[in-house]
Amino acid sequence: MTAVLLPSMSRRTRRVAFSVLGFPGAAIYLFPIYWMLISGFKSSAEIFANPPTFFPRAPSLEAFHSVIVQENIARYLANSVIIAVPVTLLTLALGSIGAYAMSRIRSRLVDLALVMVLLLQVFPEALIATPIFIIFKWVGLLNTFLAVILATTSKTLAFALVILRPMFLQVPSELEDAAHVDGCTRFQAFWRIVLPLMQAPLLVVGAISFAQAYGEFVYPITLLNQQNLQPGSVGIYAFIGAEFADWHRVMAFASIYVLPILALFLLLQRNIVSGLTAGALK
Amino acid sequence: MAPSRSPLLHVFLVAPVFYLLAMVGFPILYNVAMSLQDVTLRNLGQLVRPFVGLDNFRELIADPIFRKVFVNSLAFVGVNVAGQVSLGLLAALFFAESFAGAHFLRGLLLATWMLPGLVVGALWKWMFASQYGVVNFVLATLHLIREPVHWLSDPAVAMTSVMIAHVWYIMPFSMILIAAALTAIPQDLYEAAALDGAGPLARFRHVTLPALRPTLLAVACLVTIYSMRAFDMIFALTQGGPLDSSNVLPLLSYQFSFQQFKFGMGAAVGTFAVVFVLAVAVVYVRTLNEDVRA
Amino acid sequence: MTIKKLLAGLAAVACLTASEAMAQKVITLWHPYNAETDMIYYGIRTFNESQKDYRIEARLVPYTQLTAEMIKAVATGTPPDLVTLNDPVVASFASQDQLIDITDRIKDSKVINLSVYFKGPQTSGVWQGRRYSIAREVNTLALYYNADLFRAKGLDPDKPPKTWAEVRAAAEKLTDPAGRVFGIGFCAHASEQSTFQFLPWLWQAGGSINKLDAPEAIEALQFWTDLVQKGYASKDVINQQQNDVTNSFMAGNYAMAVGGPWELPRIQKDAKFDWRVTTLPVKDGKNIQASSLGGFHFAIPKGAKEIDGAFRAIEFMSTPSIFQDGWRSGLMAPRSDVDIKDPLWPKAYAVFREQMKFAIQRGPHPQWPDLSRPIQIAIQEALTGAKPPAQALKEAAQKIQPILAKQPL
Repeated sequence: MTAVLLPSMSRRTRRVAFSVLGFPGAAIYLFPIYWMLISGFKSSAEIFANPPTFFPRAPSLEAFHSVIVQENIARYLANSVIIAVPVTLLTLALGSIGAYAMSRIRSRLVDLALVMVLLLQVFPEALIATPIFIIFKWVGLLNTFLAVILATTSKTLAFALVILRPMFLQVPSELEDAAHVDGCTRFQAFWRIVLPLMQAPLLVVGAISFAQAYGEFVYPITLLNQQNLQPGSVGIYAFIGAEFADWHRVMAFASIYVLPILALFLLLQRNIVSGLTAGALK
Repeated sequence: MAPSRSPLLHVFLVAPVFYLLAMVGFPILYNVAMSLQDVTLRNLGQLVRPFVGLDNFRELIADPIFRKVFVNSLAFVGVNVAGQVSLGLLAALFFAESFAGAHFLRGLLLATWMLPGLVVGALWKWMFASQYGVVNFVLATLHLIREPVHWLSDPAVAMTSVMIAHVWYIMPFSMILIAAALTAIPQDLYEAAALDGAGPLARFRHVTLPALRPTLLAVACLVTIYSMRAFDMIFALTQGGPLDSSNVLPLLSYQFSFQQFKFGMGAAVGTFAVVFVLAVAVVYVRTLNEDVRA
Repeated sequence: MTIKKLLAGLAAVACLTASEAMAQKVITLWHPYNAETDMIYYGIRTFNESQKDYRIEARLVPYTQLTAEMIKAVATGTPPDLVTLNDPVVASFASQDQLIDITDRIKDSKVINLSVYFKGPQTSGVWQGRRYSIAREVNTLALYYNADLFRAKGLDPDKPPKTWAEVRAAAEKLTDPAGRVFGIGFCAHASEQSTFQFLPWLWQAGGSINKLDAPEAIEALQFWTDLVQKGYASKDVINQQQNDVTNSFMAGNYAMAVGGPWELPRIQKDAKFDWRVTTLPVKDGKNIQASSLGGFHFAIPKGAKEIDGAFRAIEFMSTPSIFQDGWRSGLMAPRSDVDIKDPLWPKAYAVFREQMKFAIQRGPHPQWPDLSRPIQIAIQEALTGAKPPAQALKEAAQKIQPILAKQPL
């Protein structure tokens, strides 16, 4: 597509040029990630060595070992997933019906709803934590995953509504009218005709909601009392203590923590990006 | 014709909005109420506390630190929106060219966005350290600087460093959304423009940009919101210092409430942030409506 | 019939153990100690094993969130039975009625005898004549130094600097830009930590928080400012927390560093050179030995369910055997009658014990955060060169004057 944007070069030359630019460019951009990885192999003191070392002097697996065996990072990550999956599903469910309705109902009310949805996102999370605690204490759901799931969905839902509404708008309502003529109910039209066209946007929203839920910090720490229920985003703070921080373990933890999500996106992003063509315009 | 006001549609609309109002509306009301009260640790556990009207807000506006932080937040958001939209667009355009490894590289870039704010803050804190930081080391080796730059300990530079780190952090998010929208632009539009004799730049201006407008606006709006609430990373990176040069509204609110025990003030700061975003959200929704009617 | 008896017997036993388990009360404890060697784990385990009435269930709260979590607990009426709070914050909670008054319990306690506590901990945790918390452990600050670097620069590591002038002279000699070494490091981070590190120098100069604009106070801040401006200390100290300063010391980039005993386990592991500790210097002509008192306190929040149990736990944690375990992570006993047998790092231990005699507490004052913050700001302004020390301190004094007028220190 950029073929049409750049001065005429043979397609092949352009691609080679881009590769030559792309890899080093990405490497530079990702340098901090590299830094995070090698810090996990350094000793705590070497991280602060002056001059900085670009490769650990004596690479050690001690931090990774401690994170995997002693801290049981597997349990933290499992909790992260236990929270993230239901949040994603709930977000997709509520988000798709909400965005669909917003695309079909043209009214001031809808605009107002959209504005409010956006507004509510900006309030500092640290301040929202206390009243959220009160809500869940009131319904007796403290110290449960369900509470965290419900609270986190409120965050991802706003994003879903904002992104999905324009996508639904691109699906012409003539399709539903035709379906109605054929005898479909409104719901059947939504379920059988509109939704299948939205596969790719729903995939995007789902993946991004998953990532947001996976990284959620404030709600788990507020609503979950027990350490063994905490997800990785909270678990990483276990290395930051009153007296000192075990930075090499923090980085080892982070390196492992990021793998599941990264894998998910690497697998899906081809579909996410190129697939939107299929859904949006027909 | 299917009625556009079918009851099912209203249920569809009400369910998520109601859910949001309950989950987020109540906390906001709670905090707005707190911002109008004199709240101490003693009465924090009660709902009824002495009402002081707008006193907290008056005290806030009179506080030079608040004014400084408010301006910081505006600058932070502005730079983030500009930086992320432009860089995200550039990156999306770059990777849209399907060269070998393009998809893989683009996916890999997303790794930055998935890191916890704490980790991003710590990494950039080390990299920006005047003495042992990699950035100064590389710049010095390339003979670009003679004295170490005090990225985080010079009040004049700290905010820039925080902006750089945050743009780096979130840019892949913007990039992926723009990339998705890019692929939705039909090829025939470009071919038609080319036939009309439009050069590459003109095609960009007349085909790409207009088609991307809704997405760019959506990204700008989302980046505004996410920048306004950026907390973890800045807390880990500079804690708002030195001398509040990199302090932003959510961090100030946290400092008031959880470090100085001034809960009414903390809530007032949060309310300010909402008022600011109100303006942005209204603009966004208006523009979106124009697009829809067009 | 034997089967019936058997079943009856089993049922009886089951009921007994069930009621025993039911009768055992749970004490919830919140603490931030993530180091697995911390004495709290040993304490919890042995407490639970030593008796059947109570069982401690601990929640590890990330250190950065501890005060925030306590505030949330107050706001929602869900406090734990026992909590460890940082010393300067206790007064804020106590003055607002959020901690249980334990004065009488301590007086009647057969385990806790305040008269054998160090001077500092004897008065911290007290608010308006009543006691609301008791020190779990204490710490203070001393001067770490790199003996190898001393020798390399012709300084005698057996005769570490004892006065301000000697510290400054040593720092000058030790600073080596080519070798990327700074003579000295201290924490000037925009948080309670910089106040903690600065107060010893303020007190050594004969100054006090009441008179931040007096010449003595200005001399103290000027001393710090000169070290930074002359390049003997890095400008980055305004960004470094105490453990960051220690990191640079361990990496060999700070020849001297002001730090506490909690750093010892890490220093032993990661500092690959001959490291030593000495007491903080005195100001030439003033000869006042002073250091800051730090540490965490045990407190029982208002609304706790198991107050008696919590206090029993506090008593248990204040016994000498627990403190013996505490020194493994560099935590010092608040009692002067506890002498660690065969301590790890014996020389360092001796130094810190000596320094403890001169450790002065911060406050107590219910608005300590409001007193501390202007000091932090003044330090940052002076060290970044934004304002000269005299002006920075004058403005700080103006900010805290109304607070002290309402409630003196």
